Amino acid sequence: MAREEAGGTPILSQRLLLSVAEELKLPLLQIARQAEQGQMAGKTDLAAIRATADSALKLLDNYVLGVRLALEPEQMAIESVSVSSVLYDTGQQLDALAKSYGVELELSIAGRYGPVLAHRQGLQAALVSLGAALIEALPAQAAAGTGSQLRLHLATHRSRYGIVAGLYADTKQVSNEALQRGRELQSHSRQPLMNLTHTSGAGIFVADTILKAMKLDLRASRHHRLYGLGTVLQPNHQLQLV
Amino acid sequence: MAQILLVEPDRLLAETYSQALTGAGHKVMIAPGAQAAISAADTARPDLVILELQLVEHSGIEFLYEFRSYPEWQDIPVLIHSGVPAGEFTDSWQIMGQELGVDVYLYKPRTSLSQLISTVRDQLSVPA
Repeated sequence: MAREEAGGTPILSQRLLLSVAEELKLPLLQIARQAEQGQMAGKTDLAAIRATADSALKLLDNYVLGVRLALEPEQMAIESVSVSSVLYDTGQQLDALAKSYGVELELSIAGRYGPVLAHRQGLQAALVSLGAALIEALPAQAAAGTGSQLRLHLATHRSRYGIVAGLYADTKQVSNEALQRGRELQSHSRQPLMNLTHTSGAGIFVADTILKAMKLDLRASRHHRLYGLGTVLQPNHQLQLV
Repeated sequence: MAQILLVEPDRLLAETYSQALTGAGHKVMIAPGAQAAISAADTARPDLVILELQLVEHSGIEFLYEFRSYPEWQDIPVLIHSGVPAGEFTDSWQIMGQELGVDVYLYKPRTSLSQLISTVRDQLSVPA
């Protein structure tokens, strides 16, 4: 009998899905790089194809990372990480996709917060997956009349629980209840977060999986007047004293 | 114009990378595996090697050991451009860095053509 994880998914299935994900990365890489090559040769209309293929590639890559971290937590190297730098790099990685969806990215990293303890690659992968899902969701929300300006904020702020890193927009569809319901419906429903996104929301659940593997939570969060999803990170007090 | 040896087992990717590097003014020899790469280097000495670690029959690391065993190729820069994250090769990566003279590791799914071209340019400008 196949061994089971806490989540109930047999490890054998996880391994099979992992190898399928690894296999799918190659054709996506081929499409992305061929589109980029076409762009370099002057075919600018290939930019959106490249951005979409690169985004799908990152989603798969991040899924693989999330499952690996969950299956082999001993491989996880926790280090001192600057949230601002992770958000900046996240913005860089989401830039092309945001442009192709007409979404403007805005960095809100003005606050001077000390480093936090996290697995840098995992944190970044979670934020990129989350960001890609929200970028794809925003135009549909705008079309439904819930917002006129497509803008996604990559922001950090201090809360009483720690340093929050998250992605925010002028949208009210995000709540912890909706997220909880989405988690329950995930893999049973084609659209588990139907008030937030018209897709399967895979990016959000990949982010959720990665953060869970890192013993962190994905939760609804506010940043000034904006609504979004984020995670709370613990400051590295040792380094702050140095 | 630099002579680049591209060791890449996937034909489509090899052609795409080759076109981009050729467009950047380089001459590219494509080798799908370790043995073909050694033969190609024998035919025309490369100024730089771009190497995938996942090859058929012999791994990229095995290729590197053989490649570096020839004194005339010991100073040729080798750039790892692999679909395997560096983190999964921790021990091997350290060995490569220290013993096999490899300074750069690019994770293929996260590396654009323009990043590859600029890294190649940087590597070629470093004095041996």
